[in-house]
Amino acid sequence: MLEQLLIFTRGGLILWTCKELGNALKGSPIDTLIRSCLLEERSADSSYHYEAPGAAYTLKWTFNNDLGLIFVAVYQKILHLLYVDDLLSMVKKEFSEIYDPKRTTYYDFDDVFRQLRNEVEARAEELKKSKQVGRAAPVALGKKQGGASIVRSDGKHNGNSSSKDGGDSDSAKEHKENGNPNGHQNGVKKNVVVNNNKENRDSGAFDVNKLLKLRSKGAKKQESVVTKAPPKAEPKKKATKKNRVWDDSPPETKLDFADPVDERGIEDMEVVTENHGESMMDREEVFSSDSESEEEEEDEIAGKDPKMDEKKKGWFSSMFQSFAGKANLEMSDLEPALKALKDRLLTKNVAEEIAEKLCESVAASLVGKKLASFTRVSSTVQAAMEDALVRILTPKRSIDVLRDVHAAKEQGRPYVITFVGVNGVGKSTNLAKIAYWLQQHSISVMMAACDTFRSGAVEQLRTHARRLQIPIFEKGYEKDPAVVAKEAIQEASRNGSDVVLVDTAGRMQDNEPLMRALSKLISLNSPDLVLFVGEALVGNDAVDQLSKFNQKLADLSNSPSSRVIDGIVLTKFDCIDDKVGAALSMVYISGAPVMFVGCGQSYTDLKKLNVKTIVKTLLK
Amino acid sequence: MDIEQWNQVVREWIDKTAQQLRQLPIEQIYVAVGVLVLTFVFFLLISLFKRSKSDTIVLAGLSGSGKTVLFYQLRDGSAHQGTVTSMDPNEGNFVLHSESSKKGKIKPVRVVDVPGHSRLRPKLDEYLPQAAGLIFVVDALDFLPNCRAAAEYLYEILTKATVVKKKVPVIIVCNKTDKVTAHTKEFIRKQLEKEIDKLRASRTAISAADMSTEYALGVAGETFTFSQCHNKVSVGESSGITGDISQVEQFIREHVRP
Repeated sequence: MLEQLLIFTRGGLILWTCKELGNALKGSPIDTLIRSCLLEERSADSSYHYEAPGAAYTLKWTFNNDLGLIFVAVYQKILHLLYVDDLLSMVKKEFSEIYDPKRTTYYDFDDVFRQLRNEVEARAEELKKSKQVGRAAPVALGKKQGGASIVRSDGKHNGNSSSKDGGDSDSAKEHKENGNPNGHQNGVKKNVVVNNNKENRDSGAFDVNKLLKLRSKGAKKQESVVTKAPPKAEPKKKATKKNRVWDDSPPETKLDFADPVDERGIEDMEVVTENHGESMMDREEVFSSDSESEEEEEDEIAGKDPKMDEKKKGWFSSMFQSFAGKANLEMSDLEPALKALKDRLLTKNVAEEIAEKLCESVAASLVGKKLASFTRVSSTVQAAMEDALVRILTPKRSIDVLRDVHAAKEQGRPYVITFVGVNGVGKSTNLAKIAYWLQQHSISVMMAACDTFRSGAVEQLRTHARRLQIPIFEKGYEKDPAVVAKEAIQEASRNGSDVVLVDTAGRMQDNEPLMRALSKLISLNSPDLVLFVGEALVGNDAVDQLSKFNQKLADLSNSPSSRVIDGIVLTKFDCIDDKVGAALSMVYISGAPVMFVGCGQSYTDLKKLNVKTIVKTLLK
Repeated sequence: MDIEQWNQVVREWIDKTAQQLRQLPIEQIYVAVGVLVLTFVFFLLISLFKRSKSDTIVLAGLSGSGKTVLFYQLRDGSAHQGTVTSMDPNEGNFVLHSESSKKGKIKPVRVVDVPGHSRLRPKLDEYLPQAAGLIFVVDALDFLPNCRAAAEYLYEILTKATVVKKKVPVIIVCNKTDKVTAHTKEFIRKQLEKEIDKLRASRTAISAADMSTEYALGVAGETFTFSQCHNKVSVGESSGITGDISQVEQFIREHVRP
């Protein structure tokens, strides 16, 4: 059953909660949702799982960006409530109508909600029954029925609910017909057709976003139902998709334009890359100006896409729109600008997956919003993206290592920093740089050579130690690194060192035995800080590296309280020019802040990440 | 081709207006220009005044300390049905609820509640230039676990150039004092001073490499107390839930005249 349904503003004021449900939630799932999901630009996800002692909830949400409202439904994790999405979208529709920014209480909404809930629950009940009659198509049908139901509530407002009921009974009939397992694929196909017709009729009444969501879900569910015959499922999915594009865009001309624009984009890009190559060959110094021109061209592309649309609509109307501000942004308005933005992020070496997710999240925060006067869609999207990037890169917690070191010193124990990462990213080098930096702030440092695997690793660290006049703890090779680290920490507390820097062997994220050893080292010694050292050169692999490291550290540890990566050291930052995307990818995927940036060969080349310049470079 | 056409149209239009202008008596043109200049000056003055006027009270503090509740207590005199973590600042220009029943004309106050989540802290910089006073809300109930984070945030605020230069008065409000186990304001003040003193040591060390903190805090060589700050820092108590916010209102009225 539904545990709770809340409506609140982006400012944080709860406008309405369901008192009938009234179950006190255990823990604070809503706050956790906002902090760890919505504020982390993960709002394009479909649901969030909250776990606390004695409680496990699933949360689903939807936004009304224009009014700045958020609707959240909470239910027990073990239940799979299919109707929550429908309920949320219905509540959103009804509540948006009565919302007034000056009002803060909405007791009269109780009745409306009760009605909506009964309606939705009755439908879910119906669904369950029909599920027992025929095992085959119900899920797909259910989702589609859900889709139809929204139409129905629309229909009621217009006062023509009869046709809808007819449609529903139609599909129900069909559903009964294909109760036998043989005919079920056929049935699915028919249902899809019927529903498509329905949606054709009412596409005007649909919120595009809603439709998209429902569609994609429907498609997914279908797939899972028809897995027995995958070749057949494939074309079906395609068919619905094609339909969708035609349904959604009332200005059909736009569809014709999509492809040529795309092609042009690609052509331009190709030309650009060629130019790029030449300049590299000729002279290095013009490189920066050349890259600027590249960006300008990109800007042009970015500007072109919306322009192409507008031209079709007529010059005057677009002028008028820019004066008056566009009514409400829709997904189709945002798509070209988002695509251009995504391409730009990709050229800056942001991992593709991350760029995709970010764009989705930005889109989710903009759909339904009013466009201010004298602004273009592309600039609005850009501003939203800038906000999002600043938010992501701003550290969640304090990155003041010195403060932590002093705190540990007061407690009379050494502060332990462990460096982990894949091979050859510069763990030892940056360990030495950090040692130098700490030493400059009059903190006594000790190194622990726990890379007992690669030949020469201990000697490398010993060289650094000699140059910096820092004591080093080493036990040679072929020892268990976890034990070496433990002994090093004991040694440090004996001789009064403030900080122990633990160097570990580089390992690929997929190498399970080595990851297990690392996990053991960390759970045995519980260091104060686990730093992941990553190259700024890395592209798509950043996601894989960090997520696997995090996951393996959590999975393979024996202790219940698993440790994950606390911070990131970004190395080789001096050799990437403007391709700073790795910083964004790593921070987004791990949620950990970039604590140090290595930017050169000497001991002094250690910096902090400047969030503003990174964001500027990313969007340049 | 489009552009050429447009050029032509525009040129014709300009010709036409020039002709019309020549036909008009010269006085009318002078008057028109005069009116235009006057309106420009008028708007310029307005915008200048708006910029320089600092009449905003900023609510800051860690997430979960009760800023949004205080905001609604000040505005409506009730916490409504509770709040969740804010994702956007709450802004309002209103007459304080406690004063709304008073007779006579009362100047409204602009109050901004800036979200406390660390990811949203950069938003604070947007409002600080207009700040007439800053209310730093501290959770007195759950103080010790958050002491360091609160001190860090307060340190950041107190070293900001806009705060130091304009001497923005700060009140540290210990919220949730209706609960029995809440810490006293003296205890909280001492703890915060102690933490900031430590922070001073570690932050000044970093600022050599990173220029984020513009001003050093307090007097070097002495233990830090809030009285060393250039701006006035006071400590108060409040309870957002029960509506006991008299000290906050008093602070606001001290710095924004009714």
